Amino acid sequence: MIRKRPLGLAKRAEIRLFSLIISFFLVLCLLACSSHDRIAGYVHYRINYNPTTLDPAMIVDVTGGLIAAKIFNGLVRLDENLEIIPDLAASWDVSRDRKTYTFHLRRDVRFTNSRTISAADVKYSFERILDPGGKSPNTWVLDKISGAKAFLKGERSEVSGIKVTGPYTIQINLEEPFSPFLYLLTMTAAYVVPVEEVKKWGEDFASHPIGSGPFRLTEWKHNNHLLLERNEDYFGGMALTKGLRYRIIPEDLTAITEFELGNLDSISVPASEYRRIMKRDTGNNLVSSMEGINTYYLGFNCSRPPFDDIKARKAVAHAIDRKMILETFYEGRGRLAHGPIPHILRRWDAPVPPDYDPAYARRLVNAAGLKGKKIQLYVTADPEVVDIAEIIQAYLGSAGLSVIIQQLEWSSYKAALNDGEADMFWISWWADYPDPENFLFPLFHSSNHGPSGNRTRYTNKAVDALIEAGQKSSSREKRDHYYRAAERAIIEDVPWVFFWHKTDITIRQATLRNYRMYPIYSIDKGLEVSF
Amino acid sequence: MIPLLTGITFITFSLSKGLPGDPVFSMVGERSSPEIIEKIRKEIGADKGIIRQYAGYVTLLSRGELGRSYYTNRKVVDELSRKLPNTLLLAIAAMAIAVPLGILFGFFAALQKGRATDKIITILSASGISMPVFWSGLLLMLLFSLRLKMLPPSGTGDLRYLVLPAITLSLPALATLIRVTRVTVIDVMDMQFIRTARAKGLTETAINAIHIMKNALIPVITVVGLEFGSYLNGAVLTETIFGWDGIGRYAMEGIIKRDYPVIMGCLLIGTIVFVLMNLIVDIIYHYIDPRVRLHGTDR
Repeated sequence: MIRKRPLGLAKRAEIRLFSLIISFFLVLCLLACSSHDRIAGYVHYRINYNPTTLDPAMIVDVTGGLIAAKIFNGLVRLDENLEIIPDLAASWDVSRDRKTYTFHLRRDVRFTNSRTISAADVKYSFERILDPGGKSPNTWVLDKISGAKAFLKGERSEVSGIKVTGPYTIQINLEEPFSPFLYLLTMTAAYVVPVEEVKKWGEDFASHPIGSGPFRLTEWKHNNHLLLERNEDYFGGMALTKGLRYRIIPEDLTAITEFELGNLDSISVPASEYRRIMKRDTGNNLVSSMEGINTYYLGFNCSRPPFDDIKARKAVAHAIDRKMILETFYEGRGRLAHGPIPHILRRWDAPVPPDYDPAYARRLVNAAGLKGKKIQLYVTADPEVVDIAEIIQAYLGSAGLSVIIQQLEWSSYKAALNDGEADMFWISWWADYPDPENFLFPLFHSSNHGPSGNRTRYTNKAVDALIEAGQKSSSREKRDHYYRAAERAIIEDVPWVFFWHKTDITIRQATLRNYRMYPIYSIDKGLEVSF
Repeated sequence: MIPLLTGITFITFSLSKGLPGDPVFSMVGERSSPEIIEKIRKEIGADKGIIRQYAGYVTLLSRGELGRSYYTNRKVVDELSRKLPNTLLLAIAAMAIAVPLGILFGFFAALQKGRATDKIITILSASGISMPVFWSGLLLMLLFSLRLKMLPPSGTGDLRYLVLPAITLSLPALATLIRVTRVTVIDVMDMQFIRTARAKGLTETAINAIHIMKNALIPVITVVGLEFGSYLNGAVLTETIFGWDGIGRYAMEGIIKRDYPVIMGCLLIGTIVFVLMNLIVDIIYHYIDPRVRLHGTDR
């Protein structure tokens, strides 16, 4: 009798193990249909974070703002040339003293719940922002209206400066003439909302926004995606695409993978992928860029030593080769700043900020008695910012300054800046509206120290007066005259080292048509883009 | 459980409030007046003393509520009840991969002790423990999504979306389980009772399945319990890379923004989950190891 030799224990286990691995991958292959993840007819975009809220009263982030722009409308809006154009208001008149604005509303606009919009809705929406019991952080957008401050304090039951003078006419009176007032009305906080929906949803209106825009929100899977379906009754004409899908993808490399697979139609190019994508795009013209309305800067705490001394500030400004950093580290993804105001908004000759002069910087360091003194540079935990901080540290080190980098996460960083803890800090300012005033008043006026925007605590009464004069001026020429003078004075005082205006760079799929970039998120209503 | 939760909530409440940073500054954006900051601080109760704030929170809890997020204004309870099933699904899927494979590879390595296969498995498990998930996750994504076009790289949804994050999350647990199983099986194999079993004429399969495996399982179950418990509290990196909507990302965002109701909500759920997991592990011990059975239950 021939007996089969039994397989050894190890051998049998080996075979079992091998078959298990094979079956695991087979199951995986069966499960795996494809990497395709699209909704037909929808344009797919990426956003980095889940929008915190879509209630216009509460939005302070760009992500929330760009989606709200598709769902809501204001009285006026910006066109692609940054000019004010009608939105809900068909026309408007401004009184001779420039304190009274009368808006004549279109009569054919309806919220997506089918109710027609009237002047009372505008009044309700504006008073909602200023509601003394509300939590809106955007009260500053409308507090120039007369009676707004008294209403905000709970001293009045309505804002005296907002008058409904007819079903489709609303009059807004300002305390004082304020030249960028119409720009303020293009902002998210000034969007018009339906009272009945706000009351119906209460605090949950933030997740169930209803407006009159070209799209309506049909699904919001938090931290996953938002679906916006086109509003076929939109008064400004129907969007060319069936809908928009915003995918929430926090990780850059994941987003790039989704784009490469065709699951996203357009993405902002992350810094880590910039060189590869630019190389690949040669001749395809799928990459677009747009100089953003922003300014990146190194701010000094001007309210205490050592940077209350202009020599110390100048020493730092002359010690750093900004152009070199922009061209090498930043790979040219921006334009060198000549002052606080972005080039797009400056209608006068570019001023000349302190140039790179290491020898002069060293002399100034000695003159200011700064040699060997420890200086705290506060930055956020963003890896790119930390790299920039180290570069700055090296430049200042060669000038004889000893810089200690304090890296904080965003919430602590803002608290430290608002409390004036930092000697120096790296930060940027992005436009709320496209007017030079937005880069002067909040950032340099002495009434705005700390959380209102002037984190350097810069104080110059002459600059205050120039900015105020610009705000009250009637003509663009006069405004420019004051703003130009204010900018020049600021550059001479060196409260910041002006670095650059960052350029936004996006890449799109070849199938996407009429895709455009806009310098301010609210301009894009999503009407033109199509396949 | 109640005293434990009270203690934990009080400690973390005090600690998180003691951290530098203020949620109000992030809530108001880049431009806000001190009056508005004060007003919002009052609205969210941040102007009160810490004891009064804690008392307020406990009152809220006694009503079965967890409050609303400062930023999104959404109810923390709703958010958690939406995210917890996702986290649970991911954790179960990861453990479903890690546990059988980990025990199997570990057992196999122990049987092959000293041979080439054992060495390979040991090296692979050591790299599995050392490999951070943000790296292994991206490698898997590049292979299965970008190259093979088999699986979607990110999102929360059906089974297709689950595979990659589950494999990524399972890798460290898998590696740990292989090592723990291997070591304990080797220990058990040398014990007297195994030689006795062999002398009794039992087959190798019976010895492996009944005697070695059952005895080797005890430390393995401890590891599984701990790993599973930590997965149920969310896997921040895996969830972020694969865009999975789970508790980990939610808690992380809460911490970064100092969104106290979110932090406390996540912590409360986390504590309950951890306590429950420990309880379950203890109960399993009871069935596997006669030594830990309560006196009287054997009668």
